[in-house]
Amino acid sequence: MTFSSSYLFGLTTFIYMGAAALYLIRWIFRVRKVGLLATFVTISGLVIQTVGIGLRWIESYQLGYGHAPLSNLYESLVFFSWITVLVYLIIEWQTRQRVIGAFTTPFASLSMAYASFSPNIEDKIQPLIPALKSNWLIAHVVTCFLGYASFAVACGLGIMYLFKNRYSGASGGLIGVMPDCKILDELIHQTIIFGFLWLSLGIITGAIWANDAWGTYWSWDPKETWSLITWFVYATALHARFVRGWTGRRIAYLSIIGFVSVLFTYFGVNFLLSGLHSYGSQ
Amino acid sequence: MKILSSTYQDTSIWRFFSSVRLAVFLLITLAITSIIGTVIPQGETLQFYLETFGPNFFRIIKALHLYDTYHSWWYLTLLGLFSINLIICTLRRLPFTLKLCRRDSLSLDSERLLKMPFKKDWETKKQLDNDSTQSIISAFKKVGGKFRERDGVDGGRLFLAERGKWSYWGVYALHGSILIIFIGALVGLFLGFKGSVMLPEGETIDYIVNRQTGKRISLGFSVRCNRFNIAFYDNGAPKEYRSDLTVLNDDKEVFHKSIVVNDPMKYKGITFYQASYRAIPEVTVQVSNSDNMQRSLTISAFQKTIWPEEQLSFSLIQYQPNVHGRPAAQIWIADNEGRAGNFWLLEGREREFKQSGNLYKMSLSTAKQRYLTGLQVKKDPGVWIVWLGCTVLIAGFSVVFWVPHRRLWLWIGRRKGRTFVILSGQTNKNKLQLEKDIKKIEEALNSNLGVGQ
Ligand code: HEM
Repeated sequence: MTFSSSYLFGLTTFIYMGAAALYLIRWIFRVRKVGLLATFVTISGLVIQTVGIGLRWIESYQLGYGHAPLSNLYESLVFFSWITVLVYLIIEWQTRQRVIGAFTTPFASLSMAYASFSPNIEDKIQPLIPALKSNWLIAHVVTCFLGYASFAVACGLGIMYLFKNRYSGASGGLIGVMPDCKILDELIHQTIIFGFLWLSLGIITGAIWANDAWGTYWSWDPKETWSLITWFVYATALHARFVRGWTGRRIAYLSIIGFVSVLFTYFGVNFLLSGLHSYGSQ
Repeated sequence: MKILSSTYQDTSIWRFFSSVRLAVFLLITLAITSIIGTVIPQGETLQFYLETFGPNFFRIIKALHLYDTYHSWWYLTLLGLFSINLIICTLRRLPFTLKLCRRDSLSLDSERLLKMPFKKDWETKKQLDNDSTQSIISAFKKVGGKFRERDGVDGGRLFLAERGKWSYWGVYALHGSILIIFIGALVGLFLGFKGSVMLPEGETIDYIVNRQTGKRISLGFSVRCNRFNIAFYDNGAPKEYRSDLTVLNDDKEVFHKSIVVNDPMKYKGITFYQASYRAIPEVTVQVSNSDNMQRSLTISAFQKTIWPEEQLSFSLIQYQPNVHGRPAAQIWIADNEGRAGNFWLLEGREREFKQSGNLYKMSLSTAKQRYLTGLQVKKDPGVWIVWLGCTVLIAGFSVVFWVPHRRLWLWIGRRKGRTFVILSGQTNKNKLQLEKDIKKIEEALNSNLGVGQ
């Protein structure tokens, strides 16, 4: 099968890498036309990836397994990059700030590259183990990853903020084309709010599922605990606005720390710690 | 309010416990300390920690209960402080919110309205007739919300369209939801239980074992496992674990369900989950005593099989399916005075053994697997409170961030000998929507007031 989902995902990987490169070029060399091209390339990548995800879903039925492509690390990486690009495109559409693309599309292309090229990641469609056979699987994964993707974007914005804040004197150059610190701060806040809602829903759907599968909605398993830690970090970021002195810079740092915590929840727990979440461990 | 704030509300301890600063500190502390329990394995024996971490670290682990971090005194204290913080903070803000909600939005004068960032005004020399006033008002009313009107404080007439005032309570719902979840967890902790049971196929049980205390808990009914089944995919991965369960009340079958992972059985507030399974070997042996009296006995690993006539009991210690090409079983034997011994039995080879001075013969006839299903059993009357809390959390959060409190004013009156129409608006979020609302009314008013655009 040449026209298979894995072929399309391979293609997506290169398209996203190209898009990230274009956004960087547009930012660094300030060629306006490249920006339009970057958006176009990103959108076509998203379309191809969407078809790929749909195809993989169909393929799993053809194999007789029949489940949504959200069941192992490979599939979750693909989904993560898909939803990150989607969230970014919405922000680009609303803010018309293509510079943000230079800081967010790399997350999506890294995720795809990791899924496609890492020898440790099984990309075959596998049957669902009994614990994953639940209607809550889709709800849980989609909500969690909407949160993760928003936090990836918030982290990109946070990095931009720190750059901008550090060289605030520079009115021209690379820093000058970035949005204002005030706008960045507001955007970070908005994406964190959006991500926080989805993370909360992700934790709740996970709890409902655990209650169905294991008989406890909360068992302090490392993955659960890390998602709670992440939740605490972003709750801190939301409240920090009310504490005097916790200005944009600290929120920017929190958006980065929060995303490190997200990454640890996502990967670290699987690779470094043991627990009930067999999901995504291979 | 004055009295409240000057007497006990302003003591430093009260201020300390109501500060967002403390909340931020507690959130960060909880985030950092929660890491501990994900790095140190939880719930192992003390011996394990001594061996894994060495004596020095072990002392810390033991003193700080790091083997069960999330139920340790200091973690629960943090959660307690967090709750107190939340409650006191809420109480302290309550008067402000009430004041905010009670404030009279119709007591503004036209000067204030003209100073608002979102405003539009018209002036005409001629007096407005009744018809055009009415159509202006009805255009204003179209924007929606609670509509009120009153004579203006500086003359004229003031109209108000207010929407989403209740959204100030969203943050209370949000914070309250966390307390609701805590309450649900406590209800589950004190009024529920978590246990487990290994139930062999064909057997019935009317109690389970508490997971924490190891004590027996009577169910008040019996559960029988009719069958246990595993299915595999073609590639050998497990596809399904299924237990066929029947509930019995006074030996009458009252309920039946076939459970799999993710689809438990609920009966009288108690839930049974498919959690694990075990396959145990079971052997059938032929035994005879010195009088050549013969018996066929089934011996398994988890029960004693009794030979009543001889007052002997047997159990299976080990089973090897292949010893020199044949199955073999290690049998444990005891008499009623507690003298015990064991020996190996190889299929096809009769073997003699002595117990309490008598001589017996035994041979192995068949061996097979028997399944035990591992069930988690739980009762948690607090779980609904937790789900309620979760719902309130999401609803409260959405209200806090996405339901604006929007007020639109329309003032019609005379200033400095001219007729004025002033339209102003205020909102605490979603300025875009407010601008759109104002634009819409503006257009309607323009045509009503005969301003061509
Ligand atoms: C993990 C638990 C908590 C969550 C998820 C949470 C969530 C939130 C959210 C989302 C907001 C709205 C922020 C905004 O408007 O930008 C908020 C506001 C606030 N929170 Fe919390 N909170 C928590 C715990 C606490 C605690 C323990 C306190 C105790 C002091 C607290 C005090 C406040 C205050 C004073 C506000 C501002 C309310 C206002 O806008 O009038 N929160 N909280």
